[in-house]
Amino acid sequence: MARTDRIAFVCPRLAGEGAVGGAETLLKNLAIHAATRGCEVDFLTTCAQSHFTWENSLPAGMKQMDGLNIHFFPVDERDAGTFLRIQQSIDRGREVPESDELLWLKNGVNSTALLQHLDQHAKDYRAILLGPYLFGLTYFTALAHPERSLLVPCLHDEPFAKLSCMKRLFSETAGCLFNAQAERELAGELFDYPDAKSRIVGMGLDAFDVDPTAFARNHNLTAPYVLYCGRREPLKGTPLICDYMQAFRERTGRDVKVVFTGSGTIDAPAALWPHILDAGFVSETEKHEAMAGALAFLHPSVNESFGIVLLEAFLAGTPGLVHAQSRVLVSQCRAAQAGLWFRHYPDFEAQLLYLLDNPDARNALGERGRDFVSREYAWPAIEQKLFDAIDTLRPNP
Amino acid sequence: MSETPILTIGAPGLDVDTLVADLQATADRKMKDGVYADARVARAEKTNLVHLRGSDDFITFYLTCLRDAVFVDISDFEIRERRRIIGPLLIVFKRTIWKLLKFYTYRLWSQQNQINGLIITALEGMEEQTGTRVAALEKRIAELEQKTPHGQD
Repeated sequence: MARTDRIAFVCPRLAGEGAVGGAETLLKNLAIHAATRGCEVDFLTTCAQSHFTWENSLPAGMKQMDGLNIHFFPVDERDAGTFLRIQQSIDRGREVPESDELLWLKNGVNSTALLQHLDQHAKDYRAILLGPYLFGLTYFTALAHPERSLLVPCLHDEPFAKLSCMKRLFSETAGCLFNAQAERELAGELFDYPDAKSRIVGMGLDAFDVDPTAFARNHNLTAPYVLYCGRREPLKGTPLICDYMQAFRERTGRDVKVVFTGSGTIDAPAALWPHILDAGFVSETEKHEAMAGALAFLHPSVNESFGIVLLEAFLAGTPGLVHAQSRVLVSQCRAAQAGLWFRHYPDFEAQLLYLLDNPDARNALGERGRDFVSREYAWPAIEQKLFDAIDTLRPNP
Repeated sequence: MSETPILTIGAPGLDVDTLVADLQATADRKMKDGVYADARVARAEKTNLVHLRGSDDFITFYLTCLRDAVFVDISDFEIRERRRIIGPLLIVFKRTIWKLLKFYTYRLWSQQNQINGLIITALEGMEEQTGTRVAALEKRIAELEQKTPHGQD
């Protein structure tokens, strides 16, 4: 891919502008690194920060940041009631007609202004990289310019992925950039998606060196702690962390604290609250310090296409504890040889006790994780994969 | 004499799959021994049940835990307040409210406990019945398969 090429990224929100999200972080970082390698990158996003309200909270317009031309477009008016009604039906596994699928996408997040911008400028871009897959903005943008659209779908095994409109989205676009082999396999199962139309790219991570005692010292934590970073919501499994940790503390009598960083409410039993530290939004350095000092990084979500925070925890030298139902996170733990996976509470208790009582084993797992991520997810390797993927899936006309 | 550890992380031939399998086998053994038959485990699993629907063994185990958790605690409890200044006043207020409402809530919760008990008994009965039927069917299928040589309909 020529360094003079111009590419566009399309994402419903911009990570870092009060928005936390794995897919948003992934797309922003890929865009920044494409720009670092000399590409001219336009990052097209909306003025929204909240993925609940999609309210236009940022001013529309263009600003330059991190080497990117970031264009903010207003979100269209939407009928949230219709959106939620159909979403609930889909989520419960009910069959919905195709007309309702489209109504659901139309009343999700969309931006006519962004589409109009692309109508005028799409031909200037070598490729348009866009995701995640389940938003109206992604769907309508990709199908408006399918020949130059490369999906970064962040695909999950969830009811939304089984909609017929998604089959169309995947089959008509030029190709897919997956984050992991497990995600590629899922696309194969759901859409008969040919391997030839996709590449595995993922996201790079910069190595860091932090003091593993700093977070505990700064927050007066004297007991070991487990950590979760990211959005706190049922889909991410945060209530399970609280329920399991409450049972663990009561049953074993071991004093292990629970640290959360990120946004959202924590749904925890009253008795656990004195043992929870909600650090909220923290800087990258503080997050890495929290990771480096944790006994284990908990990631109980079963709907992940790529566990960025899990890889960050590995890079911090901390082993992961993930849910056995998440094939992506389990495959990351396996690949790195740095994490364990639990099916239910009894497994969780046995595994956490093992890490607590075997510090050498815990450290050895952490070291393996650090080595693995430093080797496999260094940015130069990922940048090369990204450029190779664009060259293969969107050959120069 | 040097002691050889049972498990050595990083040792040739040992990987996280082996470690997880070993720890899961330990957990399974303890589950069978009743170590986890505990109301606290049933409560902890409430958000995880959806992921365990396919596991017959786990549902049986969960029902055992649920048997322990099914009855609502309706006895008196210690009322605590963390707020320093108005805390004592709030405690007196809450105790009074509790005493005033007890005659009503006690009746309500007692009925709820009866319902909970009946439901768990019914669930256990259904699970046992289904288990027996499935076992009988599996036995019958095995017998029929033995009678029919492979490749014949």
